[in-house]
Amino acid sequence: MKTNDGQKNHFFEITGEPLDVGEIARRVVLPECGATVTLDGYVRKFTKGRETDYLVYEAYEPMALSEMEKLIDAALEKFEIANIGIVHRVGRLEIGETSVVIAVSSPHRRAAFEACEWLIKELKRTVPIWKKEVYADGETWIEGDSAAFN
Amino acid sequence: MNVKVLFFGATADTVGKREVEMSFDEETAASAALSQIFEKFPELQKNHGRKSLHFAVNQKYADDDEIINDGDELAVFTAVSGG
Repeated sequence: MKTNDGQKNHFFEITGEPLDVGEIARRVVLPECGATVTLDGYVRKFTKGRETDYLVYEAYEPMALSEMEKLIDAALEKFEIANIGIVHRVGRLEIGETSVVIAVSSPHRRAAFEACEWLIKELKRTVPIWKKEVYADGETWIEGDSAAFN
Repeated sequence: MNVKVLFFGATADTVGKREVEMSFDEETAASAALSQIFEKFPELQKNHGRKSLHFAVNQKYADDDEIINDGDELAVFTAVSGG
């Protein structure tokens, strides 16, 4: 069984390759932990009734990585958790393909659930990554909640 | 002074470029720089409007009054939508 040998091993990555959710989740396992909560975010076919063919994700990579690192630091302050891994995929993604994985390990599950929810909410608000929905008859860059920084 | 201006996603499509070099006066604030970017790319303001645009200086979110320096990287983009 793969663990990371008892070391704290937070990670944050952006990749153009398909994501292996199980592998990412195993990387946060620690001997003193009892649970990992993993978010597997993937491409939805219907958004507000409109049918999506595929998505394209684009990142401002150096800033996205530094914002992910800030989220990890903040989550470690806020929750009783051990390890955090965040991996976001960019490029073209088909329906059902995983776009983001957030894995949080902790001694007890409740903190991991709370941290994972907080991390995805903040990631969607602050990490500079954008998605374009491509339809049979056009495409749109999706805008997040712009109230976040105004 | 010269500043690298970056666009992503919707703003890159609007401007038709991902990166331009622009020259600003010393002590230019981010908001003043954005006004000059609007002059150069009027469609940016027309398509998105000032309120829906965010900016980052050297990969950090910046306020309107942040002063930009020679060699800085100024990114202009719409609200993020990752996840």
